[in-house]
Amino acid sequence: MYDTHILTDEGCRSVWENGRRVGYAVNLTINYYRGLPLSCVDEITLVVDGEPVAPEDMVLQHRDREYPYLAILQDDFPTDFYWRFGEKLRVVVKKPGGIPQGRHHVKLTLGTRRSYTPTMVATCEKTLTFA
Amino acid sequence: MTRGEGATAMGNPNDIKLGVSLYSYQDNYYFHKHDLEGCIAAAAGAGATGFEVFPDAMIPEWPYISDRFVDTFNGWKERYGIACVCVDHFSDTRMWKNRNLTDDDLYERGVMYIKAAAKLGAPAIRLLHEEHLGSSPFFKRDYHLTTSAIAERLLPVCAEYGVMMALECHSPTTVDDPCHEPYLEAAARLNLPYVGLQADFSSYEYCMTSADVGMYERQGATRAILDRVRGAQRQAYFAGKPFEYAEIEAEIEAMKPNEADRRFLRFATRRRGPASYEVLKDYASRLVYIHGKFYDIDENGEVDNMDYAKIMKALVDGGYKGYVVSEFEGNRRMNDAGWCDEVEYVRKHHVLMRKCLGRE
Repeated sequence: MYDTHILTDEGCRSVWENGRRVGYAVNLTINYYRGLPLSCVDEITLVVDGEPVAPEDMVLQHRDREYPYLAILQDDFPTDFYWRFGEKLRVVVKKPGGIPQGRHHVKLTLGTRRSYTPTMVATCEKTLTFA
Repeated sequence: MTRGEGATAMGNPNDIKLGVSLYSYQDNYYFHKHDLEGCIAAAAGAGATGFEVFPDAMIPEWPYISDRFVDTFNGWKERYGIACVCVDHFSDTRMWKNRNLTDDDLYERGVMYIKAAAKLGAPAIRLLHEEHLGSSPFFKRDYHLTTSAIAERLLPVCAEYGVMMALECHSPTTVDDPCHEPYLEAAARLNLPYVGLQADFSSYEYCMTSADVGMYERQGATRAILDRVRGAQRQAYFAGKPFEYAEIEAEIEAMKPNEADRRFLRFATRRRGPASYEVLKDYASRLVYIHGKFYDIDENGEVDNMDYAKIMKALVDGGYKGYVVSEFEGNRRMNDAGWCDEVEYVRKHHVLMRKCLGRE
């Protein structure tokens, strides 16, 4: 449905703090025809230039809130933070030095849990330019 | 023909109102070409007097709805001269990681959608009931969606808020499938007439849509096989016969179907023809809401795999009073190939429906 679009080319860049690069960000959109609570996200996996990103290094930023990726996988994560249809979910990968400016190959796997259809796992690969 | 002509003993085409499910504009929304207001404006621009909204998709604050949002929303209804006629309910039984929603939870979620509809001024919710796709779920699952027992508990809530629960009878089920009866029986027993049948035109497909042909071909299926199956389905329908896959199976096997062909054959060969127009006519006066589903429109302005003239005639003759809303589902079948012009599809769909009702 939206599998080829879930990894957007918007906002790809290093993330900075106090003049230093401390990580990098990509923005995702949902692989469904409606929004879902973040608690329905079963998997976000990133492979950048062939290197898998460690789950504990990922932070999700959504509507002025920030959640460690592993937190949304916990059983008791609230069900009322909706990742809206078409809304960008920013994934920040913590990495000292950020990502070298330029083109990088990114592979995303996104699994979302639904109820009246089975869990859908979408993959999307793109070469993105990071600022 | 002018409006009002064509009325029959049972029904009047002017009792049928035309709307748009904003689901039809999902790519415009997803890719930020139109926001919610833009989608409402597009529906009004197509000539619709009502629209349906998925709150889960297009209401920014969902699952909450602030008074400020309601004021803005009501302002749009005024500005574009259009009513919100339905809010889509979902049964997210698996929304927690470690447990399924209990029936009490599903009831509470139902209450939430009913209250949302009332707040948005909508007279109905599309209930995602357990038998939405018929009595046997299309994939194995160890949980259920909203059952008749839960819907029965929701009836007094519906009465309090003046909201109807529309049971969407989506292909492969039909409005006369007995699996929907327990809901209606509960409403009759309690004298709370707040649940009713909703037809979905997916039940009236007589062949594979060309939108599917394109999608399957891009997924690696063989064009000649796709065309042969679709052609046989059309031939059967226009000859007034059910489609029997067995009649062409040997021919198809000789064409050596690949894996992608097998995937589509599993679906496409099940359909033997549209559900009965006569039954639709018999049920028409009892229907509370209708999804005018479509996937593609041909060069003659006709929906390419449903007989809209016959479907709409059955509704008029049967005395349907209510909304038929465009539900364009071609987008998800076409958008892998590039931009799908949903606004144009819906515009054409409304021209077709108005024509069927003698308004063009």
